Amino acid sequence: MSENYPIRLEKIDDYRWRIPRTCNPGMKVCGIIYADEKLLKDIYHDKALEQVANVAFLPGIVNYSLAMPDIHWGYGFPIGGVAATDIEEGGVVSPGGVGFDINCGVRLLKTNMQFEDIKDHCTDLINALFSDVPSGVGAKGDIRVTQKEEKQLLVKGARWAVEQGFGVEADLECTEERGEIKGADPDAVSERAYERGTAQSGTLGSGNHFLEVQVIDQLYDAGLCDTFGLRQGQVLVAIHSGSRGFGYQICDDYVKSMVHCLQKYHSTVPDRQLACAPVNSPEGKQYLAAMRCAANYAWANRQCLMHRARKSFERIFGVSWQQLGMELIYDVAHNIAKIETYTVNGKEKKLCVHRKGATRAFGPENPALPERYKKTGQPVIIPGDMGRNSYLLVGTKKAEEETFGSTCHGAGRLMSRTAATRDINLNVLLKDLKSKGIIVKASGMGTLVEEAPSAYKNVNDVVSVVHNAGISKRVCRMRPIGVIKG
Amino acid sequence: MGTKAYQILEHTADIGIRVTGNDLAELFTKAALAAFDIIAEKKSHSEKTIELFLTQEAGDVSELLVNWLNELLSLAAVKGGIFTQISFQEIDAHNLKAVCFAESAQAYRMKTEIKAATYHALKVEKSKSGWLAEIIFDV
Repeated sequence: MSENYPIRLEKIDDYRWRIPRTCNPGMKVCGIIYADEKLLKDIYHDKALEQVANVAFLPGIVNYSLAMPDIHWGYGFPIGGVAATDIEEGGVVSPGGVGFDINCGVRLLKTNMQFEDIKDHCTDLINALFSDVPSGVGAKGDIRVTQKEEKQLLVKGARWAVEQGFGVEADLECTEERGEIKGADPDAVSERAYERGTAQSGTLGSGNHFLEVQVIDQLYDAGLCDTFGLRQGQVLVAIHSGSRGFGYQICDDYVKSMVHCLQKYHSTVPDRQLACAPVNSPEGKQYLAAMRCAANYAWANRQCLMHRARKSFERIFGVSWQQLGMELIYDVAHNIAKIETYTVNGKEKKLCVHRKGATRAFGPENPALPERYKKTGQPVIIPGDMGRNSYLLVGTKKAEEETFGSTCHGAGRLMSRTAATRDINLNVLLKDLKSKGIIVKASGMGTLVEEAPSAYKNVNDVVSVVHNAGISKRVCRMRPIGVIKG
Repeated sequence: MGTKAYQILEHTADIGIRVTGNDLAELFTKAALAAFDIIAEKKSHSEKTIELFLTQEAGDVSELLVNWLNELLSLAAVKGGIFTQISFQEIDAHNLKAVCFAESAQAYRMKTEIKAATYHALKVEKSKSGWLAEIIFDV
């Protein structure tokens, strides 16, 4: 443990650490970090723990300011942060607790093919995916909608995409909120956000967004794998993207207005990026209505991206995606604020749960889950870096009891982008990925270096913590064989 | 823009910059041009220039800087431009009026998407030698 670090952690057990309220008199609750000794060393490297303490200032926050093991320094909230506020007790919503990329999230679909079936077609397949799925900074897609249609898209989310022919009803059942969160109000969205979002529907974006073809390399729970129809060597596809410029503008608009709400509602926070307003205030309601539009935009976007991926597979293998068994396993949001009900101190409470780089992880029998996942718990998709592994987990009852039904969202960055650009050699990286049998296509080579595996924590360590802490359960692990980067 | 016009600050997930200026106009200009230098690099000649007149108001100079940068980032995305030249007509701690010139993004190679400027660890300070600002961008 760092001697110089301003925050002293108290050990609760092997996987949980407490930031006591005495750390800063403004903290309304303690901070709890899910990590083991090994990951804590990385967590101490940056200012993420201070941010966990800062989040504990939010008016109406209940239980704890939580951090998942992939926690790292963000802005306002840490990435990997979870906080819930009590709506009836003046609990707030903070756009900074969701972030600029509203409903950045990931979906995982399966195929009925084994690695052996596709290994001779990998290069063609990755090239097809790269040409069919628009990616890169400011990428534009060919999905054009009128403003009237755009409003429908914002209300209907993934269902809009399915109605356009980009998918089937079963896809919606396997999407968090059915890809259509209620309470979206297009009138809460600025003209600028409409302008900024136009032409970006159906695009992957850049940075850490990706499309990956993966192969299952480890089964952890035979029963769950059977239920999900998954076996060793099976080919899966993961898609990671968000609400693009549309979401950025909504966050920008509402941070701008909520900075003035701090004084209006007498809220004290140590970082203006935590600007907030009571959920029940006009400003809070309006933000949530706009945020939900961006969440639906992102679900429609990922639905369109999946449709394109299915079409690429059809082109390469010459049969329909249905014949290739390309069914969606699940789609999860990892930057979002949701109204959910939990028991707090013996009383049922409606809470505003912020997940900033964290995934919902509901356990078996949760009423929000579709029938097919009632017994298993909610599928949780954890993308790692492009050179190592990704995971499929399921949520647990324990997560609902301890973490407002939340778990980690990825590996978590370890190295800054500037350090990665300075220290990582592109040719060495490409050679290394090639030696592992990973084909990589990227719109920008700079992105590849920034997103190099060594810039990330080891996802195996992160998942090990959430599994051992009982807030999710491992189902299977995948390794990448083809990566499309923005 | 030369690399000496701003300094990169280490941040795990995002990108921070430090800029200095003799006055607010220079500080705000350098901060904006630094952002667009991170976003894109010129690859070909551009004949088309977009000219925009911008006004901003804010409660204090930090808020003014964040609003200014986010307005430029937003306009650049909407107009498909890269801002390369800025001329302030007025600027104080609460208001600014500026004429901003952008070249078509098609003449540039896009490097990094900046989603927005944030308030996190934001610094805008006046010293004997002028002004200093530190800003973290969400990328």
